[in-house]
Amino acid sequence: MSGGISLGHYLPGNSFFHQLNPRIKVPSLVIILATLFAVTSFPALLTMIVLVFLMFRLARVPFRYLLKGLRPILYIALFALFIFLFFTKGGVVLFRLGPLTVESAGLWQGLFVITRLVTLVLFSLLLTLTTTPLSLTHGLGYFLKPLGRIGLPTEEVVMIMAIAMRFIPTLIEESQRLMRAQVSRGADFESGSIFRKAKNLVPLIVPLFVSAFRRADELAMAMEARGYRLGAKRTRLHEDVITATDWAVLLVVLVMLAASFYFKL
Amino acid sequence: MYIGTSKLTHTYWPGTPFAADALKNISFSVGQGTFTLLIGPSGSGKTTLIQHLNGLLKPSAGEVYFDGKKIGPDKAALLALRRRVGLVFQMPEDQFFSETVFDEIAYAPRNLGLDEKKVEERVNRAVAQVGLERSRLLDRHPFQLSAGQKRRVAIASVLSLEPEVLILDEPAAGLDPEGKGNLLNLLSSLNRAGKITIMVSTHHLDEIAALADNLVVLNEGGLVMSGKTKEILARGAELKELGLALPQVTGIMHELAARGLPVSTDIYSLSAACDEILQAKRADQR
Repeated sequence: MSGGISLGHYLPGNSFFHQLNPRIKVPSLVIILATLFAVTSFPALLTMIVLVFLMFRLARVPFRYLLKGLRPILYIALFALFIFLFFTKGGVVLFRLGPLTVESAGLWQGLFVITRLVTLVLFSLLLTLTTTPLSLTHGLGYFLKPLGRIGLPTEEVVMIMAIAMRFIPTLIEESQRLMRAQVSRGADFESGSIFRKAKNLVPLIVPLFVSAFRRADELAMAMEARGYRLGAKRTRLHEDVITATDWAVLLVVLVMLAASFYFKL
Repeated sequence: MYIGTSKLTHTYWPGTPFAADALKNISFSVGQGTFTLLIGPSGSGKTTLIQHLNGLLKPSAGEVYFDGKKIGPDKAALLALRRRVGLVFQMPEDQFFSETVFDEIAYAPRNLGLDEKKVEERVNRAVAQVGLERSRLLDRHPFQLSAGQKRRVAIASVLSLEPEVLILDEPAAGLDPEGKGNLLNLLSSLNRAGKITIMVSTHHLDEIAALADNLVVLNEGGLVMSGKTKEILARGAELKELGLALPQVTGIMHELAARGLPVSTDIYSLSAACDEILQAKRADQR
């Protein structure tokens, strides 16, 4: 049942960032990411890194969650660094390997780009670690609303996304249960050639599909029984209110973006 | 020790804010050929404990034993264990994936690497064991069966491993009274005639108590008590505190005794209750 955590990344808590309104958090992240691309100097970038670490402290996220979140981009970062090292020329020659040279401009550029990448991921991680997938979906849904004017069923799209999010852990749990059940009947999901492995998965996938369809059917029935209708105007149990703190946060990130442009940091 | 655990502890999602102790320091053992009931309210750790007995989970601390040997972590030993200890999951018909009942039951023996002739023998034996040999349903699709038949096919699909121990997780869940009755008869005959050690988890005592030699009571991941059925059921007040109702007949016997009819209260099958009441009445009339 290890899947309960790695997916969605959400870490329950009650910190300042957990309480921010998702309708503010999502655009704030976008503005911060824009700021990251606007800054061009190392001191400015380092300030952003210090900022994100302070924010993680404030959100009370253990350090290993950062490492876990950064692991997927390790290879991209190394690859980017490699490209810059060997293909960006300028400055002093630091290192020579046959026809290839590493020059100082390349080193600086490479370091700058991967630092920017890491900071970018850390800020995004802060959002997903402190926001439940469900409220994130509703936050995103709010910004989809204008598309309703041109006939897109935004309410329904958000509902679909929310339901999908809701059932990811359920399906993971279900698949683990099924896997154990078939293993206890002598199934082997680990050894054999790739074709053999694929064939061995049939006893897992068929019941998983059957239960997913049955669940979908039951859910649709339950929703209709409780009065869900397509296109109906819907209200929410927890109406989120945008507080003064939320506006202040938005203002701060806007000022950061403006400053990075104005002072050419 | 035939099957048992020693100071078994299991923690889900260790080292995260989600960490939860599903089992705490559980030690118990049952003998070969016995019928054991594992009872406890929902969420008491029954399913987790059962999966440990089949080597499907790794203990966070403590040990699990089968036939005098410690279970795990060696993979070959685990495979051997699963041949000898069959496990029927909760709602086992959710695992069906084959196009015919035959293939469903043949899945386990085929996984053992037996040839088709032996597989067929085993399927036929398993079908006979669960009492479906006359219904000629081997060629039908598993989803076409009734709920009771599905449950029997699911049990047959584990019996085809020919295990010495059969563990069932809430086997009566979702069955109607008739299906439940049939299931109890089946379990009883597997235990008595088939000489299979049986362990059943349930949160509902009732008629099944009459079959059990031993009771193991769990609550919130801890072992509350374990021992002979009679001894445990005599502690009815403690069971009630855990939200576990005594079997209905036992409750009636307690009521009767409280109202002055001289009957013994450690009775948990309907027929024994009938005999006892009749005897008490006759003594009364004399």
